[in-house]
Amino acid sequence: MKTKLLSILSIAAIAIVIGGCSKSNNNNSTTNTTTLEGQVLTDFSNDLVNPNYQDIQTKASIMNDAVQALVANTTDANLATTRTAWKNTRTSWESCEGFLFGPVEDNSYDPDMDDWPVDKTRLDSLLASSNPLTVSDITPLETTLKGFHAIEYIIFGVGGTSKAANITAREKVYLTSLAQSLYNTTTDLRNSWDPASGNFTAQVINAGKGSTYFSSRQAAFLDLVGSMSDICNEVANEKMQTPFAAQDSTLDESSFSHNSTTDFTNNITGVLHAYLSEYTSTGGHSLSELLAAKNASLNNTLLSEMKAAIASFGTITIPYEQAIYTQKSQIKAVQVSINTLKTSLDNDLTTFVKTNIKD
Amino acid sequence: MKKIKVIGVLIVFVLLLVKCQKSTVFPADQYNDQLSGGDETVFDATSKSFGNIFPGLTGYDVHVHILGDLTFAQTFVTAPAIVHGGLGPIYNNTACTNCHHNDGIGLPTAGDQQSSLLMRISLAGTDDHGGPLPVPGYGLQVQDKAIFGKLPEATVNIVYTTQIVTFPDGTQCELRTPTYTLSNLYTPITDPYLLSPRLAPPMIGLGLLEAIPESEIIANADPNDANGDGIKGHANYVWDIATQSKQLGRFGWKANIASILTQVATAFNQDMGVTNSLLPVESSYGQSQYDGLNDDPELPDSLLNAVKFYAQTLAVPARRNTTDATVERGEAVFIAAKCVTCHKQTFTTGVDVSRPYLSNQVIHPYTDMLVHDMGAGLADNRPDYTATGQEWRTAPLWGLGLYTAVNNPGYYLHDGRARTITEAIMWHGGEAEASKAYFQNLSTSDRNAVLKFLQSL
Repeated sequence: MKTKLLSILSIAAIAIVIGGCSKSNNNNSTTNTTTLEGQVLTDFSNDLVNPNYQDIQTKASIMNDAVQALVANTTDANLATTRTAWKNTRTSWESCEGFLFGPVEDNSYDPDMDDWPVDKTRLDSLLASSNPLTVSDITPLETTLKGFHAIEYIIFGVGGTSKAANITAREKVYLTSLAQSLYNTTTDLRNSWDPASGNFTAQVINAGKGSTYFSSRQAAFLDLVGSMSDICNEVANEKMQTPFAAQDSTLDESSFSHNSTTDFTNNITGVLHAYLSEYTSTGGHSLSELLAAKNASLNNTLLSEMKAAIASFGTITIPYEQAIYTQKSQIKAVQVSINTLKTSLDNDLTTFVKTNIKD
Repeated sequence: MKKIKVIGVLIVFVLLLVKCQKSTVFPADQYNDQLSGGDETVFDATSKSFGNIFPGLTGYDVHVHILGDLTFAQTFVTAPAIVHGGLGPIYNNTACTNCHHNDGIGLPTAGDQQSSLLMRISLAGTDDHGGPLPVPGYGLQVQDKAIFGKLPEATVNIVYTTQIVTFPDGTQCELRTPTYTLSNLYTPITDPYLLSPRLAPPMIGLGLLEAIPESEIIANADPNDANGDGIKGHANYVWDIATQSKQLGRFGWKANIASILTQVATAFNQDMGVTNSLLPVESSYGQSQYDGLNDDPELPDSLLNAVKFYAQTLAVPARRNTTDATVERGEAVFIAAKCVTCHKQTFTTGVDVSRPYLSNQVIHPYTDMLVHDMGAGLADNRPDYTATGQEWRTAPLWGLGLYTAVNNPGYYLHDGRARTITEAIMWHGGEAEASKAYFQNLSTSDRNAVLKFLQSL
């Protein structure tokens, strides 16, 4: 699923050196960083993942309330409130995509909430039918009929042209169930890491120390770094590249809401969050701190590349599905910026983890 | 820029190899047993370790692989659609990756988005090519999902009963015996029918397996047990849609598919209902679910070929801990148990000057690519070309120790009935009965050494 041409070669080379040739290891601060490694895993979980997942759940609850208000009183003002609630939920969700590993992938919460494209033919048929549309009715439906983009399709409409007066009775029923269903999935996601529930947090914190999921801390860190790289690849080389290369706006993911550039920005912001172990408040011990202790220049490089990639989206000043036609050089520059970061993650940061995190 | 870096790294790599060889890193026979996929091995043991591109790909090949990767991950929707249409009308899943999670082995359930088990179906007898005989109204595969307004062919029901196997040291192992039935048939099947469950297999190293010379595979066949070792592996010869000819079967749990192109085209058509140039007729043709749309083939050739290339060029993860003393002892016991008679460690792929990344690679797939009688316990009792109802292809074991990381918790065997490697071994019967018994009667430490060795693959 991921394409790591350069990294694999260099990792192969390095691994052979480490495995075969090197006879001594001159790391002299092993004790300090070993303690720090554990603190990083703890604070990554407690200062970022848990608060982020909790925030998604909170925002999804607000959206669920907004949908109920819209259905009860279908005004353009309530529609606007619902759209804002959708975008706010989207923001917290997209930033957690900076570190997609663990239950969010294993339990398929990601496709359940965020599959694409919407199966419009089928959705229209479903709405035109008299099939029941309660939450339990829509639970077994394909993911292309549920989640963020199905909700987006109804509340924004093609080209963002939806009006409150045009929302049909069937759409209201469906929308109510979609919002509740999304909220339910965000609850499952939140619970999966919650120490009081599924507690995947313990699997991460105890990596290499009794975790049944991560046989070593290195494995946990490599999954984290791999997930940071994966989202860079997904944004620059898939979500941005596919509609851009084809010069086809229908291939743009969040085109109903004109929200794609915001989505992309939040994805890469999530990478920075993961690196700093922070969500909305200042984080605790982080991967950045670990690097600062052993390779300060690489830490500075990574921080500046992350910030540069996030800032570069500012040059795309119109909705992405329009920018692919008229802001080509800006899009290319953003892609270069993200791929520069991706290369550093694949090569330098991965090598750092393999070289320095040995437990 | 990228190319220069690649070449630079390659030069470093080669220099290091040369340097390292002097310090006895490699065994005397000039290969490194860590490198399961030869040059197309990657040093990655994470949950994404089955999804790496061949390190040896460059230039346009990288682009095609990436396009295939994107298509493999793409969810298809009901036709007509602006993008990615063509799903169904009847199907098993909506995206390749839904069954092949992380390019790994699937989840042994049916009917859910993340389900990776499908049922082959046929009547007794054979078709014109010697293959299974389709069931009228169903074909050769049960599609248990359908688009809006259409009926799935059936519901697949899976029920397990359990039994306990006890090792001499008192350790117990619970084996699950599955029973598969169909219900909610959309139309009755009047004749007795045969079912065979098939779990989505891992995607790693398929191109390398395809590149093993046929002669090298046939050389290990011993259908009449001429050497008297009790092992009677033989090749399966199957109808290949891509070449319209009988070919050596290499893929699928019964070696019932000859080429990756045929496999990919068949999966699009049968698993997802997406027609393509090799199989342009809907799986529902002639049935009440047929869409009647004049939109076939639904998948462009560029994407069909890209997914084929993607499947051909997924790298094999390197072994871990190969110099660990217990792992080395486990390997010795594995050999002593004669597991390697079928789980053949090493092949060399054929020379292919047009595709250097597949050419002349020393690989360690741990399969002989032949089908063997595995006993009544594992039997599906549904012949598939020359593979009988008790025969299965020797499963490649490379990557085995990463199933848990890639597909937590990971499942094993053709229908995922085994939840651990120990369970998988204990299901072996037929030609493998003696090796299974050997394993079962090992001392605790030797048994654990074998398992640790298998975890290193």
